Amino acid sequence: MARVAREMVEKAGINVNQLVKLLVKNAAAELTTYYYYTILRCNLIGLEGEGVKEIAEVARIEDRNHFEALVPRIYELGGKLPENMKDFHDISACPPAKLPEDPTDIKAMLTVLVEAERCAVRGYTHICNLTAGKDHRTYDLSQAILNEEIEHESWFSEFLGEGPSGHFMRRGESSPFVSKFLR
Amino acid sequence: MKVFTKEMVAQYNGKNGNAAYVIYKGKVYDVSASFLWKDGTHQVLHSAGVDLTNALEQAPHGGDLVEKFPVVGIIKSAGRSQTISKP
Repeated sequence: MARVAREMVEKAGINVNQLVKLLVKNAAAELTTYYYYTILRCNLIGLEGEGVKEIAEVARIEDRNHFEALVPRIYELGGKLPENMKDFHDISACPPAKLPEDPTDIKAMLTVLVEAERCAVRGYTHICNLTAGKDHRTYDLSQAILNEEIEHESWFSEFLGEGPSGHFMRRGESSPFVSKFLR
Repeated sequence: MKVFTKEMVAQYNGKNGNAAYVIYKGKVYDVSASFLWKDGTHQVLHSAGVDLTNALEQAPHGGDLVEKFPVVGIIKSAGRSQTISKP
């Protein structure tokens, strides 16, 4: 634990125990989403599915990166990860991104993907709102993750016909915003 | 439509096998089936059995996410039942 760092956050008026629980729940959401996206990606097949596979894969890898980036902050603030994988799954801040009944229904697949990203966008917006001007490190991390989650949402939203994302695909390395926390 | 007082709704806190109800704009919603309301708690900060109308103004989502859940009743206002207009 980073004792003084935790004290600074407490002195700024944040309930650190609540914040740590939120961070653990969001870390759980990232790792479980990484798992469920693995299944979704494997089932994105055929003429329509192949077109979505690449962005699903980028989102999957970046969600795992988000988990990796969150873990140090959880421990710095005196928290810890659950010891039981089932508990970890069950406390996730977002519902499981389960494979739809008909995996060949590309709209159903995209709906699962976009809803998972929208849950994440809400979650990190919430953490940013809680920590803005008070816990600079958690804010910086959450904002970096939020930037990537918003991009993921807009990619899947674009495929659903909700309007252009305005983005190009990633070129080269993943996690342009979060990578500074992974070095 | 069943008429609840806030005290009655407080019993539905999602704990010890109780259902999880929340109040939003005078209606009582059953959120028990939601993954995000396990054990009557939502995102660490919110509990079932209470009126979330004000809390939702600060939430990172709108009331539409609450309105997806089944309505199980309305809140009794002072002296009379609150009327709910039909769509």
